[in-house]
Amino acid sequence: MTLPLHVTDLMVRSPRGAPLLVLPHLRLGAGQSLGIRGPSGAGKTTLLHALAGLADHVSGQVRWGETNLVAPSMAQRAAFRARHIGLIFQDFLLFDELGPLANAAIAALYAPKNQRDRLRSAAEQRLQGLGINSETRTVASFSGGERQRVAVARALAHDPGILLADEPTASLDREAADRLAQDLATLSREGGKTLIVVSHDAVLLDRMDRVLTLRDGGPA
Amino acid sequence: MIDLWYSLPATAQDLALLALLILPGVLTGATVLHRYHPWPLVRALIWRFRAVSAIFILLIAVSVAMGIGLTAQERGLRRATAQAADKFDLIVAAPGSEMAVLMATVFLQPTDLPLLDGGAYAAIAGDNRVDLAAPIAIGDSFGGAPIIGTTADLVHHLSDGRVTGQIWRSADQAVIGADVPLQIGSKIHPAHGTGEAADPDAHSGHGDPLIVSGRMAPTGTPWDRAILVPIETVWGIHGLANGHAPRAADQIGPPFDAAYFPGTPAVIVRTRDLWVNYALRSAYTNGNQMAFFPGAVLARLYAVMGDVRQAMSLMALLTQALVAASVLSALVILTRLFRRQLALLRAIGAPGRFVMSVVWSFAATLAATGAVLGLVLGYGAAGLLSALVSERTGMTVSAVPGWAEIHLIAGFVSVTSVLALGPALAVLRQSPAANLRG
Repeated sequence: MTLPLHVTDLMVRSPRGAPLLVLPHLRLGAGQSLGIRGPSGAGKTTLLHALAGLADHVSGQVRWGETNLVAPSMAQRAAFRARHIGLIFQDFLLFDELGPLANAAIAALYAPKNQRDRLRSAAEQRLQGLGINSETRTVASFSGGERQRVAVARALAHDPGILLADEPTASLDREAADRLAQDLATLSREGGKTLIVVSHDAVLLDRMDRVLTLRDGGPA
Repeated sequence: MIDLWYSLPATAQDLALLALLILPGVLTGATVLHRYHPWPLVRALIWRFRAVSAIFILLIAVSVAMGIGLTAQERGLRRATAQAADKFDLIVAAPGSEMAVLMATVFLQPTDLPLLDGGAYAAIAGDNRVDLAAPIAIGDSFGGAPIIGTTADLVHHLSDGRVTGQIWRSADQAVIGADVPLQIGSKIHPAHGTGEAADPDAHSGHGDPLIVSGRMAPTGTPWDRAILVPIETVWGIHGLANGHAPRAADQIGPPFDAAYFPGTPAVIVRTRDLWVNYALRSAYTNGNQMAFFPGAVLARLYAVMGDVRQAMSLMALLTQALVAASVLSALVILTRLFRRQLALLRAIGAPGRFVMSVVWSFAATLAATGAVLGLVLGYGAAGLLSALVSERTGMTVSAVPGWAEIHLIAGFVSVTSVLALGPALAVLRQSPAANLRG
């Protein structure tokens, strides 16, 4: 189920209390895509973590549909992510010792028994759709592009309505980056997923419905 | 409840104790792992950090092996000494150290002992409650094997009648223990003394060599390395009377004539009924002689050793606890190595208990693998030690697996499993957002 985003008076502080990010207001409709850009240290990843319910020392509201992700406990936020959010990282964060399917279907290790088969077959379908042979023994020998596609399959295996990506093309060559940009844009437009991407990649940002520029911990 | 416990057979008690010891670990595992399947990730992490994992496993294994090796070896030694004394119900000797007599008779260690005279021996041998009263004569050797002069009845008693060939029929025959490297028909010239101080020429002027006529079946005692000869032979080659009056000069074995009895350092006594031993011990303990149960002397020794054993067990347990604590502390550090993987799991919505289960399973796998490897290493080490001790003492020392070690392992794994919750919980206190940034 895709969800709209409504951020109000968001503030993320460092453990010592210094403000890292201030975002008074942000709205994004369900199924829309948003690019976040800005120089290093501008607070892009901090914002993405806050939107995912991962950031510490957060105040204000990050409301996905009816759920304010700032308020609940860590366990409740994890449960929300498990249900609604898919995450993609710059350096993929795969388990190199496992195969593509085991990586993509990693949620099956802790999901309720009756959902495990569904998760595995969804992961397998995503891998096929992304052109990854799920039979391969481990992902250790995969190229950067292949690894990121496995990571995308992992993010999508539980069919989340929200997709958050942190510099997803930064570790890829141009060709692989373009292909991923295309895949993500298609997922948002055709799959109806709310997509938020932190990136320096102009090609990827061009494909987003909107782009937010951050500077020094706030909107530029 | 206590009555019920004591009414259980020993094996049931051991099994129950094992279950009790392993229970905290099993309950912890069941609680942490319930509905989760972290093993593919655990395998992946162990493989990724295989060198560190191997060091952890080895650390645990060596500490467990040391504990097990010591306790198994000590128990093996206790069993072997008890077995060695098994055939010696009661010993009568001149007053002195019971331990010295025990060492000389049961363990055949060279010792200077005062002698009991013919009258004392005759009184024991003539007691109708006594089945066997074997005098011994010690102090000679051949090729490193002690030569013990005694009676044919003692040979029969020690070997339970299992003698290949035959027990001597004349003064120039000998029976060898199972481990003496001689053959039936071999000839021997007794040397005076034992070990390096033995003088092979001291008795060279005393007639023909002795011929081995029989070999005792293995007894698992130092007597397996002894050469047994008629006591008359030993007395004879030392130029003493041979225990018999001149008219019976060729007689071998009892009865002995007190007037021609040169003396014996100890009389090994056997009775038909065990309780008679107590009466005999009282009867033959007086100002001129002492009677004692070798088993009781050993029991006193075990009591002293028992304290040492408890201290050793405690030290072994403490060592293991320290190793477990070190390993678990190191594990907290190690989890820093895979903090990004754990942060990833939390980021994609894995419940905290699942992330805990990954860390816990990792720790429990290392502890259990190390403990099992330690068990194998421990018995290997104890086996080697046993072989060495057997080689040196002639006793059959075997370090067989015992419940004590299995309980130790179970307790160790169980406690470590419970303690492993610490690093597992510590991981949850880390910020996934900070760890995701690497």
